Amino acid sequence: MKKKTQNDKLLEVENLRKYYPITAGLFHSRVGDIKAVDGVSFHIEPRETLGLVGESGCGKSTLGRTVLRLEEPTAGRVLFRGQDITRLDRKGLKSMRREAQMIFQDPQSSLDPRMTVGDSIDEALLIHDMGDARERLRRVEELLDRVGLESYHYRRYPHEFSGAQKQRVGIARALAVNPNLIVADEPVSALDVSIQAQILNLMMDLRDEYGLSYLFIAHDLSVIRHISHRVAVMYLGKIVELATKEDMFGDPLHPYTVALLSSVPIPDPHRKKERILLTGDVPSPAAPPPGCNFHTRCPRAFDICPREEPFLKELAPNHWVSCHLYR
Amino acid sequence: MSRLSARLGGVRNALFLLAVLGLGLILLADILLVDHILDPWGYFNLFFIITALLYGVYPLFVNRRLTRYYWERTRRNRIAILGLAFIAFLTLVALVGPLFIPDPTRGNIGEEDMPPLGISYEQSFYDADSGRIVSQVVTGTWARPLGTDDRGRDLLAMLISGARISLRVGLQAILVSISIGVIIGLVSAYRGGVVDQVLMRFTDIMMTFPTFILLVLVVSIFDANLNLIILFIGIFGWTGAARMVRSEALSLRTRDFITASRSLGASDSRIIFRHLMPNVMSIIIVMMTLGIPSVILAEAALSFIGLGDPTVASWGQILKAGQESLDTTWWVAVEPGIMLFLTVLAFNFFGDGLRDAFDPRSQV
Amino acid sequence: MDNAILSVRDLRTHFFTKSGVVKAADGISFDLREGETLCLVGESGCGKTVTALSILRLVDSPPGRTVGGEIWYHQEDLLHSSPARLRAIRGNRIAMIFQDPQSSLNPIFTVGDQIAEQIKLHRHLGKREAWDLAVSLMDQVGIPQARQRAREYPHQFSGGMNQRVLIAAALSCDPEVIIADEPTTALDVTIKAQILDILKRLTEERRMSLLFITHDLGVVAEIADRIVVMYGGRLAESGTSADIFDNPKHPYTWGLIKCLPDMSRDQDRLTPIPGTIPSLIDPPQSCIFHPRCPRGMPVCTREMPPQITISGEHTVVCQLYKL
Repeated sequence: MKKKTQNDKLLEVENLRKYYPITAGLFHSRVGDIKAVDGVSFHIEPRETLGLVGESGCGKSTLGRTVLRLEEPTAGRVLFRGQDITRLDRKGLKSMRREAQMIFQDPQSSLDPRMTVGDSIDEALLIHDMGDARERLRRVEELLDRVGLESYHYRRYPHEFSGAQKQRVGIARALAVNPNLIVADEPVSALDVSIQAQILNLMMDLRDEYGLSYLFIAHDLSVIRHISHRVAVMYLGKIVELATKEDMFGDPLHPYTVALLSSVPIPDPHRKKERILLTGDVPSPAAPPPGCNFHTRCPRAFDICPREEPFLKELAPNHWVSCHLYR
Repeated sequence: MSRLSARLGGVRNALFLLAVLGLGLILLADILLVDHILDPWGYFNLFFIITALLYGVYPLFVNRRLTRYYWERTRRNRIAILGLAFIAFLTLVALVGPLFIPDPTRGNIGEEDMPPLGISYEQSFYDADSGRIVSQVVTGTWARPLGTDDRGRDLLAMLISGARISLRVGLQAILVSISIGVIIGLVSAYRGGVVDQVLMRFTDIMMTFPTFILLVLVVSIFDANLNLIILFIGIFGWTGAARMVRSEALSLRTRDFITASRSLGASDSRIIFRHLMPNVMSIIIVMMTLGIPSVILAEAALSFIGLGDPTVASWGQILKAGQESLDTTWWVAVEPGIMLFLTVLAFNFFGDGLRDAFDPRSQV
Repeated sequence: MDNAILSVRDLRTHFFTKSGVVKAADGISFDLREGETLCLVGESGCGKTVTALSILRLVDSPPGRTVGGEIWYHQEDLLHSSPARLRAIRGNRIAMIFQDPQSSLNPIFTVGDQIAEQIKLHRHLGKREAWDLAVSLMDQVGIPQARQRAREYPHQFSGGMNQRVLIAAALSCDPEVIIADEPTTALDVTIKAQILDILKRLTEERRMSLLFITHDLGVVAEIADRIVVMYGGRLAESGTSADIFDNPKHPYTWGLIKCLPDMSRDQDRLTPIPGTIPSLIDPPQSCIFHPRCPRGMPVCTREMPPQITISGEHTVVCQLYKL
């Protein structure tokens, strides 16, 4: 990628890999790897939302967690404001946690059922020693108000809330430490359609208000389009295409992106469009196909694809594609 | 104090540490002053009372709203409440009953083998004056409502003092086994890897251990002492608890709220004590409630086969004494039997009710 | 009731829990005609699954009970059929496909066996013939190398492949009606497209009626001939696909269509439906959507909304259209 000054990028991920060992036998010897994230590079600028889209098992969630070092990366670098967080010690990591936070998919499991939601939010402030009891209480109430809840909700337990309200609490908890980056892992996919829009609107308002950057992980392309500035498409642990939203949805180049976009059912019976049906299933990340790992399902694969691995190339300004079709 | 408690993951852990420190000081005084402030079992009992208060009762008080919620859910289960009522009644009787009853160990001459109230039977005895065996119909009286045994001891008094012993056995042994189980289970689940492997294989070995033979051995070497039996049941009874806590903690570990805490920068001890512990607490409470009856039964079984502590009249001991004359003075065996039956049933009902109330999936 | 194969009339299935009566289906009526695909649309807890299960009397009882209504299959009210008669219809004349393919298959039998078992249950075929039919069905639903793969176990199949197996099993007795409960929800978009394609092709080829239950309006637009929109255990609106998408009348239907982010254009802000999904425990004897409705009126809290015919088959249950 082009060398820019360090300051204008909030997050830079360079050739990140996360392998899970497959062990077997009595002594748990390593017989292979599940390559959940396999050499991924991208960056996020301040106030920018990067949408990360892909099918289940493509490694998008693992990528999100590894970026925050909730999973230890196998290789590669994650630069946060120019500082490599993969090398941070315990103390450095803790102060990094004030800068980057996470919102989870399942609001049910992301809150401790035995803690009041107020305490859950307060935990963030407590861990980072942000003020005395009174100041913290005021701050939690402020946060509750900001995400559309009431201050009397402080003493309520998660089971007393609806899914959307719990997701609001999760957002308030992430906001508590004043982060710059939020990794949102499928934040609306567990919610009902009529509720999703409430949370999406809230997240967009907060982005504008606090100048947040999001790494927004989702499988729903219409949600991705709505919230993202740029979009990365993942397939089997790799980014196959990375472009601005306009380019990605207006002029998709990678055959996988094209097929993915054409597969999405559109809620309009009159817009019948040509659909590219992919055959077969996603291969296992434990044994990805050689060469381009999409070639087994690719409608446009040719002789070189099974032999040689493609690399991300910038075909147009800010439009990166990893495909042998564009050489 | 607040700093310290924050470091340790809560006021509770700080208090616990203080209590352990206090016990240590008493022990030190004991050793240095060569004066028995507490006997060894006293430390043991005190330690578990403190643990139970801090980790069992204290959270119920702190999380009043949650407690009320679970109470509401449990309350809808009539049978569980019946069980709880019986347990409460029994506990009360065991605690204050002995103050109001005659000495259960004292035999009353001339009142041997009295039947319970409302029961009459023909008693045959050797009449020294006539030198003959005479029969006489004996009827239960209000003075001895549950009858007496062959030495004329009041069975009501014996059952009440036996309740105290049986409940103590149940509670203490279960506290020992659950404590070991919880610690091994939590550590195993949280650390994973080699630690997990070693601890779980150790658990497997303990599970296959011929406990009974060892107990016979121990009892024949030392005298059968109630505290020893409690400790023994506790030390060999934790394996199930360890496995259950481990599997629960393993599934909790993958839940997002643990990840959320980590992403906020929480320390390991905070995650274990503030998130894992309270969440396995519900299954711990259920395991305890369901474990108590089996411990009470185990002690009764040991007494019954003659391995119990002969100096204390637990229900098992009374039962054992009574079974020899089951054909005539059947009540001596039947009455403690009924008490055991009701107690076991009550704990099981209450435990099942608690389990349903704690289970977030069940729509009570 | 012209050429309706399945007619649901005023279906009421309630769950009797200790917290109160959950009115999961509270007066649901619709017709399923020969060869058509009818979509039952609604969000979680709107009663769509309970409605589907009630048709074949598969609701767990207790706590659930169908307390009223009629379900006409040809000339027979299924609510009054004998258990033996129901067993003869289930899987044979009316087949069902569920949301989670992994848990709908028995892990200890091969997929071929499970389809063949279904065939032998309803048709008098020999072991060999049943097996051959199973393989040919697997072939028809697009499972490659069907003959070999029939000997494999469900865990060796992906979610999409297992869903195909379930479709093959559902087709095995050539049913008149297939009830599919969110069959594509657990699947990825590219796999979802494949499954929708198969269902569309097969229902057309075999002139089967499909009752398709989903919350995904995109899928609905793709597959539905007619649509029934449900909310809070009750009917909101029903009509042809064009009626619902081009001319939605119920405020809930508007909201549902408007709150979706659009894949083909940029929007500044979404228009969510405010509030939350209502509890179905002891619902009000008036409009259940009223607390979230942008067009609510005083009368909505007092009376049950009337069912009004807009045109042809387009009906809506709402006070707004009362004359």
